[in-house]
Amino acid sequence: MNALLAVLWKDLLTEWRSRDRAIAMLLFSMLMVVIFHFSLPGGATTATRAYAPGLLWVAYVFAALLGLGRSFAIELENDAIEGLARAPVDRGWVLLGKTIANLLILGFVQAVTACIFALVFEMDLLPIALELIGVVALGSIGLCSVGTFFAAIAVRTRLREVMLPLLALPFYTPVLIAASRATNALFETGSVPFEPIQFLIVTDASYLIVSFILSDFVLDE
Amino acid sequence: MTAVVARELEKRFGSTVGLNRIDLDIQAGSTTAILGPNGAGKSTLLRLIAGLARPSSGTIEVSGRSAHHRISRARVGFIGHATGLYPELTARENLLFAARLRSVPNASARVEEQLAEAGLTRAADRRTGGFSRGMAQRLSIAVGLIDDPEIVLLDEPFTGLDRTASDRLVERLMGLRQNDRTLVLVSHDVTLAAKLADAAVVLRRGKIAHRDSGGDLDPSTLENAYTAASDRDVA
Repeated sequence: MNALLAVLWKDLLTEWRSRDRAIAMLLFSMLMVVIFHFSLPGGATTATRAYAPGLLWVAYVFAALLGLGRSFAIELENDAIEGLARAPVDRGWVLLGKTIANLLILGFVQAVTACIFALVFEMDLLPIALELIGVVALGSIGLCSVGTFFAAIAVRTRLREVMLPLLALPFYTPVLIAASRATNALFETGSVPFEPIQFLIVTDASYLIVSFILSDFVLDE
Repeated sequence: MTAVVARELEKRFGSTVGLNRIDLDIQAGSTTAILGPNGAGKSTLLRLIAGLARPSSGTIEVSGRSAHHRISRARVGFIGHATGLYPELTARENLLFAARLRSVPNASARVEEQLAEAGLTRAADRRTGGFSRGMAQRLSIAVGLIDDPEIVLLDEPFTGLDRTASDRLVERLMGLRQNDRTLVLVSHDVTLAAKLADAAVVLRRGKIAHRDSGGDLDPSTLENAYTAASDRDVA
């Protein structure tokens, strides 16, 4: 647990000082929202709003991939990753600390992106804000748990920028399907059906447990 | 008592053999120098002891357990080529992070102690991104020793240090020796190795080409063994 808190504290402090990951992710997701707005026929119409959940999750997933790739790249500078690998704890705690840090950074980016999204597509997200936060959080736990795990693997490969999406995207697919279905239902009816939520909870738990168990191998050389 | 035991230790990187079935015993409280030309397998051996990599075959144990085990990792301090520092964090924060990661009791007091030992108290709140090589290396050593490990692995720690910083490091290592710490030092500097170590191993292409564990090492014998390993390598 100490290791988890130490990694979380270090990652958030480093990001607060540099802000490089959050700014890059934010610019990228905002750009996507703006492009979606101008590329869809008719701008903010009822028809285009039907695409909103999918578009929102596309922006979220690519922003996540961008941030996750960087989360281990900073460990390569000065070979700081060796310090993490040598920690005398189950390495799962180290990975979990990084997962939570990634989740918080992504959460900040998602919140700002959702505000821009609501503005651009003229949608009032306030009445469903709590439910939306819940769905996005569940989806993001899935993205960040498996994403952090694969980022740790990809960082030691030569083509790490390509490797992370290649490894993570197949595992993102079920999360994205369930999360966009839940978001779609939320936008249309104002409530979330239990089925996709149940699926997200099971997927998140599976990804977290498997990442924790296999973490001992990913930080090895 | 033996601190590190390697048996039939082999490490392969694809078709390249990094270490070729070596047997090695490192006595607790001793200082062992690992010498050899580039690519001889010195750093690979050190990384296997540190638990940073797994052997392809054979075994390596630290204090009776697999070197990869977390209890073994707790006993070993590693000071590598690179500093392992986070440039966005201050010297104090880098040490505090290492202390928390390794669950050091009374972390804040230990951090201040290490800052003083490294002569970095005045620079404690400066971000390490602006540190000189010497300052960064001193801090890196302090990070490696934050939990007062029983075994200290040093991978060419003198690289890039000026004379004053080198002398300071030698002093620090002498201090660790006096405190019965087991030191394993990878170096190209045979004279320095002979001065600091009481046992030496010369590696060549992943195999042990020469061993010396007589206590007081003879620099000329070591130099000859090192040169022979290098010459054969060139030939």
